[in-house]
Amino acid sequence: MNGLWKPLAPVLACCGLLLAWQFASLGLKNDSFPTALDSLRAIPPILTDKESLINILASLRRMAIGFALALAFSIPLGLLMGRSRSTAAFFNPLLMLIYPVPKAALMPIIMLWLGVGDVSKTLVIFLGVSLPVIYHSFEGAKAVEEKMLWSGAAMGLSPPERLLRIVLPAALPEILTGCRTGLVLALITMVTSEMIARQSGAGNILFNALDMGQYDTVFAMIIIIGAMGICLDAAFEIVRRWLVRWSEPQFDMPLSFS
Amino acid sequence: MTRTSNDILLGAAPIVLVLLLWQALVSFGYAPPTLLPPPGQVFLRMGQQLSSVTFQQDIAATLFRLFAGFAIAVVLGVSLGIAAAVSPPVNAAVKPIVRVLAPLPKVALYPAFLLLLGFGHESKIMLVAADALFPILLSTYYGATTVEQKLIWSALAAGTPPRDVLWKVVLPAAMPSILTGCRIGLVISCIVVFLAEMITSTDGLGHVLVTAARTFQAVDMFVPLITISLLGLILNALLQGLRAYLLRGFPSV
Repeated sequence: MNGLWKPLAPVLACCGLLLAWQFASLGLKNDSFPTALDSLRAIPPILTDKESLINILASLRRMAIGFALALAFSIPLGLLMGRSRSTAAFFNPLLMLIYPVPKAALMPIIMLWLGVGDVSKTLVIFLGVSLPVIYHSFEGAKAVEEKMLWSGAAMGLSPPERLLRIVLPAALPEILTGCRTGLVLALITMVTSEMIARQSGAGNILFNALDMGQYDTVFAMIIIIGAMGICLDAAFEIVRRWLVRWSEPQFDMPLSFS
Repeated sequence: MTRTSNDILLGAAPIVLVLLLWQALVSFGYAPPTLLPPPGQVFLRMGQQLSSVTFQQDIAATLFRLFAGFAIAVVLGVSLGIAAAVSPPVNAAVKPIVRVLAPLPKVALYPAFLLLLGFGHESKIMLVAADALFPILLSTYYGATTVEQKLIWSALAAGTPPRDVLWKVVLPAAMPSILTGCRIGLVISCIVVFLAEMITSTDGLGHVLVTAARTFQAVDMFVPLITISLLGLILNALLQGLRAYLLRGFPSV
């Protein structure tokens, strides 16, 4: 029972949310709030239209490139910061300063410099993903047990080897938490950057439909982007489980006191 | 003591370096001032703007939306998180919904909020609340589920009525985790309120940036960005102060 119930629960939740939407829109009778069914019906025309499909795939490609570049840059930096006090002291204040800056808001400025093409959008996604990944890698590397490093050193591992073979695996669960946040942020920055640069991509379709008053397309795009987020997150969760299968399972039990 | 002052020096170095590089790019002519205005000009303009009434009103509008959305997120997130940790039926209902909604990019929902709630404060507050809710909810839940059961049993054994256990044991024990969630939520609120104002707004810092971008006023584009970054830092420092006060009884957190 429990085993069957678990994978079904999110699906049921999706259905429940769609049902709630359906009733809400039927109850509100608002022209600009189509029913869930109408919006779902608007999805196939978008996905079979060649141009919008190319747009959506281009968005995904930019996101993948930005995300991969950010991981390649941020994880080593975060690990180094976690293991060396002076590196951490060097970078921390700068990172703290830029953390609350909305990265997609840099889009207008970056567009001035690099144009509206792929480069500026990928750069913005890169910036958006980097900070949480750096932060979590830093926290993860800081929490590595000193004893493991000492034993590694005693067995003759050089400092770079220790970083790769002890710190990286030990910090991996924490790093992956950062990557998960980064993934969600990558989607958010992707949508917003395309909405600001209005040239191509999923965000462009969404906000153009809003401007033109095609409300069922708006809601259909919301479902598509939402589904993208949920699928990417689920795929990431599978990768994460596999990568950290050695670590203790997460504690997850309701408390009892009544 | 010298260690901390060294750290401050080291930390100031990259900021100074960035400023120097910025100035050098402009003064050696690698970047035209219309694209990258010199830092001096930007900070001068910022001083002017900060003392102007319209800019102060923009800041006030942004802050109002930020706090309203953040407050809703904290209240909802903490109560739902605790409820899900304490009661299995609530947990069964909330968990799948959260699993579906948490990874959804909330910015995509913004058009829906616009259509439903109008172009005023409400849609922006709603977006901020929706975005800040999940980190707070998840860390509250995590904090509350990792409360040691022994603590609860001792409280019960000492005669605390089960109703009070929630206030006297679970909530305080989950506090560090809740505050971490709030901190993430606060940064996200800063980011999201700005984005929402950039998309559609007639006031607020995001609107200032968009207006400047449309008229290619590079200087005015930097000012709201630096302002929101400073606001984020100040709010973060305030939250750290609150944390230090609330957690004064805890061993170093």
